[in-house]
Amino acid sequence: MSEITLSGLEKRYGDTLAVEDVSVTIDDGELLCLLGPSGSGKSTTLRMLAGLETPTDGTIHIGDEDVTDRPAYERTTATVFQDWALFPHKTVIENVAFGLKMEGVGKTERRERARGMLERVRMESHADENPMNLSGGQKQRVALARALAVNPDVLLLDEPLSNLDKRLSEDMQIELREIHEEFEETFVHVTHDQDEAFTLADRIGIMAEGNLVQVGEPDEVYENPKNRFIEGFLGDTNFVEGTVERTTPDSIRVETELGREVVLSTANPDALTEGTSLTLSLRPEILSTESAESGSEDDATGRPALADGSTTNSIVGTVENVLYRGSTVRYSVAVDGTSMFVERTVADSGEFDAGDEVRISWDGADVLAFRDDGSRVDL
Amino acid sequence: MHRETIEDALFRASYLSILAFMLLPLAVVVVTSFAESGQLLFPPENYSLVHYRGFFEETRWISAFDNSILVGVGTTIVATALGVTAAFGHELDDGRAGQLLAPLVLVPLLIPPIILGISMRVYFVRAGMDASYLSIILAHTLWATPLVYFVMRSVFSRFDWRLLDAARDLGAGPIQSFVYAVLPNVKHGIFVGALLAFIVSLQEFVMALFLSSHNTETIPVVAWTTLRQSLDPMVSVVSTFLILISIGAIAVAAIATNLDWLSKQLS
Repeated sequence: MSEITLSGLEKRYGDTLAVEDVSVTIDDGELLCLLGPSGSGKSTTLRMLAGLETPTDGTIHIGDEDVTDRPAYERTTATVFQDWALFPHKTVIENVAFGLKMEGVGKTERRERARGMLERVRMESHADENPMNLSGGQKQRVALARALAVNPDVLLLDEPLSNLDKRLSEDMQIELREIHEEFEETFVHVTHDQDEAFTLADRIGIMAEGNLVQVGEPDEVYENPKNRFIEGFLGDTNFVEGTVERTTPDSIRVETELGREVVLSTANPDALTEGTSLTLSLRPEILSTESAESGSEDDATGRPALADGSTTNSIVGTVENVLYRGSTVRYSVAVDGTSMFVERTVADSGEFDAGDEVRISWDGADVLAFRDDGSRVDL
Repeated sequence: MHRETIEDALFRASYLSILAFMLLPLAVVVVTSFAESGQLLFPPENYSLVHYRGFFEETRWISAFDNSILVGVGTTIVATALGVTAAFGHELDDGRAGQLLAPLVLVPLLIPPIILGISMRVYFVRAGMDASYLSIILAHTLWATPLVYFVMRSVFSRFDWRLLDAARDLGAGPIQSFVYAVLPNVKHGIFVGALLAFIVSLQEFVMALFLSSHNTETIPVVAWTTLRQSLDPMVSVVSTFLILISIGAIAVAAIATNLDWLSKQLS
């Protein structure tokens, strides 16, 4: 039984508040990713879980036991550190056997078990080498084997993939998932890389400024971000400032810096009153882009193209920049003095060049809106 | 020749001549120890090993030699234990107490040894430890501890503290994690610190003069009292032994670690 409960966790260093309030229950066997920018308190939270830091407030339960004040060496957690922290004066197999040695397991048995774990991560041929002579990916595997060798209830991973190159990191993500399924242990994985979090996690916990802002399954967090910070952090988006101009029973019209009003569809027209300032998020994946000549002509009037009650919006702008990003092309488009970006896959028909007029359109139902305090409007 | 080559050569030549000028007295000491006459003259008229024989027949010198080694080893043990643990504790908790520690540790090095010697004499007489080996060891420890401490600060500042985290995380308690994760990575530094403590104790004279008795006097004390009576080549013999011990200790250190590493630790 290794369900973990963190309640009201706080860590203060003098006047600095590293972690303000983290409360979450991590299910037995779950893989939770703590995702956040650097300085958000995610690593400190992990270190408190490991027992390497003592919280200044709050409690940590692993299973039914309160382990808040229990030191690291008496906890059933094991950590894979960011720079792997392999003992440079020990061989690879001695590193892996270290935890078992501390448990008092006899030499023959611990070497046997360590060898088995090295086989699991396909590093058995390096058993007698000095870990300092290994490549980053190999060190990563040894660090993983060392942590798994003590058969922990909870495996803690502190950005272990951040020092690997992209390809290797992606391979390791898949391997970590496999190991997670095989060992049926609770994993807590800290990362600042949203792709990594989305690939690995059963649930993602988003941290900002020492607080756990939102916890949920990856698609839920992505589609229903709780606030503007999460929306901006989880992917690139166009934030557009605006003011509510008019509400109708099923739509909200927002006067924006794009020089024209944007129509949002709503089931909840009372959520907003006229004059409220808003930030709208227009993600590249909801925007479709076509050449301006092929569209309808009503844009000259500045009115949104509304047909039979739909909330399709469209605007015309001029391509300023073309940025090739591998499989996608990103265009930055000047719209009435401000700038937006849209993306198209290379496979999409037709490419635009700088100076081309394009029409960008989207469904108002797909737009997310945030109040000035960052909270999301429930449309 | 290029300007840079000439500058290099000039720099080296002047550096070496300054070094040679400073080291020449050592050569004088060694050469005079082989003099045949009973007077300290340089260069000696005739050479012989007569004073070396004299040294091994003189019980006062032999016992001073024993005393010096005893005090040196004692100082090394106490100063190394104190210096290493202080530096380790300072690295672990760099709070307000730590900021006070560094200047506090430095204080004994800034007080003239003659003042330390007099005040410790008074102190140890009151404490009933007058003229004991322990009093000299403690006095030398006062000097040697800061040296060990500063060597270890520099060693620990290069230590990867995540290794300690990793060891604790894998179930090693406070002592085990120090022994298994820290010690193997800093043992060269501890060795260098211990060596410094030993050499400091071996050559310290002023405090030992105040604190020793006839039974506990160390080599520099005997050398001084002998010199005051007569300029005797025996002093040169003893000095030659001291020089050999120091060179021997550094040679052992150089072999045990390696010179390149040693110079890095001390720089």
